[in-house]
Amino acid sequence: MADTTPAVEIRNLVKDFKTSFRRKPLRAVDDVSIRIMPGEVYGLIGPNGSGKSTTMKALLGLVAPTSGQCAIFGKDSLKVDSRNDVGFLPENPYFYKHLSGTETLRFYGKLCGLKGRALTARVEELLTLVDLTEARDRRIGGYSKGMLQRIGLAQALIQEPRLVILDEPTAGVDPVGSRQIRDLILKLRERGITVFLCSHLLEQVQEVCDRVGIIFQGRMIREGRLEDLISIEDQTEIILRNAGPVLLEQITTLVKTYTGASIVSTGKPRTTLERLFLREISEEKR
Amino acid sequence: MNSAAIRIPSKGSHAGRIQIIATHAFTQLARMKVFYFLAIFGVIAIASNFFDLQQYQGPETVGISALTQIKSWSFGTMHIFSVVLSIVATALLLPKDVEDRTLYTILAKPVPRFDYLAGKLLGVMLLIFVSLALMDALMVLVLQVRTSMVVQEQVQMVTSMGWPQNEIDALRRDTALNGPSWSLQGAVFAVFLRSSIIASLALLISTFSTSTLFTTIVSFMVYFIGHFQADARDAYLQSGPAGEGATARFTELVVSLVLPDFQLFNVIDSVIEGQAMPWLVLVKLTLVALYYALFFTLASWFIFSDKEF
Repeated sequence: MADTTPAVEIRNLVKDFKTSFRRKPLRAVDDVSIRIMPGEVYGLIGPNGSGKSTTMKALLGLVAPTSGQCAIFGKDSLKVDSRNDVGFLPENPYFYKHLSGTETLRFYGKLCGLKGRALTARVEELLTLVDLTEARDRRIGGYSKGMLQRIGLAQALIQEPRLVILDEPTAGVDPVGSRQIRDLILKLRERGITVFLCSHLLEQVQEVCDRVGIIFQGRMIREGRLEDLISIEDQTEIILRNAGPVLLEQITTLVKTYTGASIVSTGKPRTTLERLFLREISEEKR
Repeated sequence: MNSAAIRIPSKGSHAGRIQIIATHAFTQLARMKVFYFLAIFGVIAIASNFFDLQQYQGPETVGISALTQIKSWSFGTMHIFSVVLSIVATALLLPKDVEDRTLYTILAKPVPRFDYLAGKLLGVMLLIFVSLALMDALMVLVLQVRTSMVVQEQVQMVTSMGWPQNEIDALRRDTALNGPSWSLQGAVFAVFLRSSIIASLALLISTFSTSTLFTTIVSFMVYFIGHFQADARDAYLQSGPAGEGATARFTELVVSLVLPDFQLFNVIDSVIEGQAMPWLVLVKLTLVALYYALFFTLASWFIFSDKEF
């Protein structure tokens, strides 16, 4: 039977921050509700300062809601045991610089109660997953931004959580590193792990998320399945290969015979600059 | 990733997590090259050997000042090291974790905030304990060598003066009291207890402070006030009508419960002078240190448990 307990349930979350004396408190999150079912990849998007990170922190118990409730797999997120099932990668994380990659993962693993062979095996597995086996014994202080994000993702996964929360996982990472992180998110989805990510990089969210929420000035202004939100209902796209001018002319003529139907645009589809960059880099490597 | 992997139970005891955080804090501080200070201590302990203030008042005083000097210099260095380290290291650990956002990743794991605080404090205390143990070992070594030299010198002198054997043995015993002794070990332990109180105090301040500098300055201020607390209390109680009555007594009680009286640790100076430290005094100091360390740690937890990041 499918699990019907939501992985994340945020109900009417409000978070006010005290400002200087006598001033009105700053409302960072205003009546936000989010429900994420197990196995979903949910993207929370919004401009800087819109309340994305505060929502995540409230979910992790790092800030207490002014009102409303947050729960992870049905457990109140202010309780410590709710964190047994969650892994978190904060924005721009810095880990202990004096530790190596392996030591970092061992430290977080031990905090989650792992030990002995299980811990060693898990560390090995994650280092391979995030492609850091060669840098495993190097001090974190010498890691690049992309490597830091990847070791951060590995520590978030150390206890095999059912939910992973990622705050701007590709912020400041180059396109290759960014692609690696996106691939990792897709791998997590394949494994049935619920992912809750927030970002202001829309293309990234579009590529990996099943559902998205748009938050602006602390309020959720739009939410739903990605396909539903971005598809234009009264338009249909057909992409043809090797279609000559004659065929195109025939299609245009055919369309004109139907009342109400019209061709909006024709032309060659374009790749993205990012895809072009990645293709060129990989060809150069070969 | 092995999708068929068995789910790993995410559990662990409080003691286990505290130990992991404590060990980590110890490693973190040790890798900050804190132990380089021990080299300075070594130089001081050895250099103190060469400063023999001649206060010749008879054969029984020959070389005694050198032994006192070694102890005095060694304890002085231990004192400075333990106080500075307990304040600075504790003041540094928490804000650094917040600034680097490593705290988020730790508290996002199933780690209660008390475990985190207790682990950090125990890590600092472990570092101080190990450092003091190493300094103590070096001091005892230097003192042992110098004491045997002093005894030899005294025995030679009194033998040539024709002292009877029983008096020579008594002199040997008296001089040995100025060398390594259990009281001296008790005094080193008292230095550790004092720094444990200071570290837990710095931990409390760092839970509500906004900067390392503020924590450091306030901790040093409270430490210095702690040396005059008992005198100030006595002066207040003997100041006439203001110091009488239930309110004055209650205020005095609250002050002594909240603010540690570091004059209690002046017993260390007596040990340096060659006096014995009664076991009861050491037990009392241990209980006092335990009380303040627990009080400050619980107060830190009270503030830290509601802190937002």
